[in-house]
Amino acid sequence: MNQFQPGREVVVVGVGLHPFGRFPGKDLASLARDAVVAALQDGGLPWRAIPVAYFGHVYYQGMSVGETALGPLGLTGIPIINVENACSSGSTAFWQAYWGIAAGVYDLALAFGAEKVPSGPVTVTAADSPERFIGGDHMMAGYALRMRRYMAETGAPPAAFAKISVKARQNAALNPYAHRKQTYTVAEVLNSRPIADPLTLYQCCPTSEGAAAAILCARDSLNRYGLDAARAIRVAAATLTSGNYNGRGSDHSAFSPYRTEPAALAAYEMSGLGPEDIHLAQVHDAATIGELQQIEALHLTPMGEAWQATAEGRTALTGDIPVNTDGGLLAMGHPFGATGIRMVHETVTQLRGEAGPRQIANPKVGLAQCSGAGDVTTVQIFTR
Amino acid sequence: MTATAATAPVSVDPGRLRLTDPTGAAGVLLGMRCPSCDIYLFGQALFCQSCTAADLEPVELSRQGTLYSYTIVRVPPAGWPGPVPYILGEVELPEGPHILAEIIDCPQDQVAIGQPVELALQPVPAAESGPTRIVYKWRPAPAAGPGVAP
Repeated sequence: MNQFQPGREVVVVGVGLHPFGRFPGKDLASLARDAVVAALQDGGLPWRAIPVAYFGHVYYQGMSVGETALGPLGLTGIPIINVENACSSGSTAFWQAYWGIAAGVYDLALAFGAEKVPSGPVTVTAADSPERFIGGDHMMAGYALRMRRYMAETGAPPAAFAKISVKARQNAALNPYAHRKQTYTVAEVLNSRPIADPLTLYQCCPTSEGAAAAILCARDSLNRYGLDAARAIRVAAATLTSGNYNGRGSDHSAFSPYRTEPAALAAYEMSGLGPEDIHLAQVHDAATIGELQQIEALHLTPMGEAWQATAEGRTALTGDIPVNTDGGLLAMGHPFGATGIRMVHETVTQLRGEAGPRQIANPKVGLAQCSGAGDVTTVQIFTR
Repeated sequence: MTATAATAPVSVDPGRLRLTDPTGAAGVLLGMRCPSCDIYLFGQALFCQSCTAADLEPVELSRQGTLYSYTIVRVPPAGWPGPVPYILGEVELPEGPHILAEIIDCPQDQVAIGQPVELALQPVPAAESGPTRIVYKWRPAPAAGPGVAP
């Protein structure tokens, strides 16, 4: 890891979402543009002020969708960069926007992401890949393999996982942007349609459509753009890692912190904060087991204990470390390009104290962690 | 199954499975060994994932292993050519690598972490034109075999 050379202080000044769900009559660019307009309105900025834009998306919907999305707002000639980094595409766009400002190249930057994910199990490889014949390219099957190991090694019962889905739905019921707002009981989660045992349907995130946007600004430029310093949320760290050679090959162990831990440790070092300072976290809960593994890899609980923390209510809105306060991937849904910036949106909204019925008590430090194929991990830490 | 020159079966991935019989009835799993780390990798590699040494030795991997984890896939990925549901197993070889593949010839209620399994080859007919692919799978083995001492 390179040593960080602290650059200009960067803050988030505007966030916006397009609701997550299914929108068959609306194309990707329109979803994305709506989120951008919401972020501009939230920050009180005109479109012509934006000097650079990074757009995260994965599924092919034509070339240069970022340009197509932003064109109707006005052709201002700015660089627009389309970013693909699997489920971390949006958070990678955010990472690039952050560094564009921290490095001193731009005063402002837009990061946005959108997706229309096809229905059905998500695969990573090309359609003619050997994996398609071998049967191992199945995201939720991979999570199921990890979950089986986690259960065997920690003794966590099936209900411990179902409680994560129950919490996600309870949080989403308080969130008008969520794809799935209906609440469920533990029994309903366990009895839902089996996908890849022991994962049931309600323990897997829905594939979704949606969009999210964030506008970042150099702290020293807030006055220049007439921005509200009281609503600006500092980016204390933004890190991005990919897989590391470790000889493990196909690894679905109960504890595989090596995917998330490097990005987390770098973020803690960059911010000068530690896991004990984190007041709330948005983590990559594509499946219930994912939330537990991410909590542990972020060192928010010891290894093998996140399921007990969940059972004790510590990760609920009223707990000491609320996790996935907006419903997470499990209930918000998972439009790949939007998800990482959706996490930024929720963290910023909570730190501003603007989360309404799902507002947690007086948070000062929030963390967002997003995973993607290729063992990609992004971590951001935000402070009020 | 019959095989002619025009329709001879092929390995699903020649870098990981080498057929040793023209009908596809027999084959070996291929790997690489790093002489300095004594680490084994499944499939082909240009260098050791641990020490980055490039002098890897091609090896044939064990035909037996133990089940590290498993799932019963009830909603398959697009294009899955086999039966549904199917058991997907992660098998740990004595040499170390973990290999994901289908577990066959095993009742769903009798699969268990730690059970010994052995290599099995099955043909997957081509969907349209092209050769039949031979896919490596696992089936329950009577007892843990000696494998290859790593």
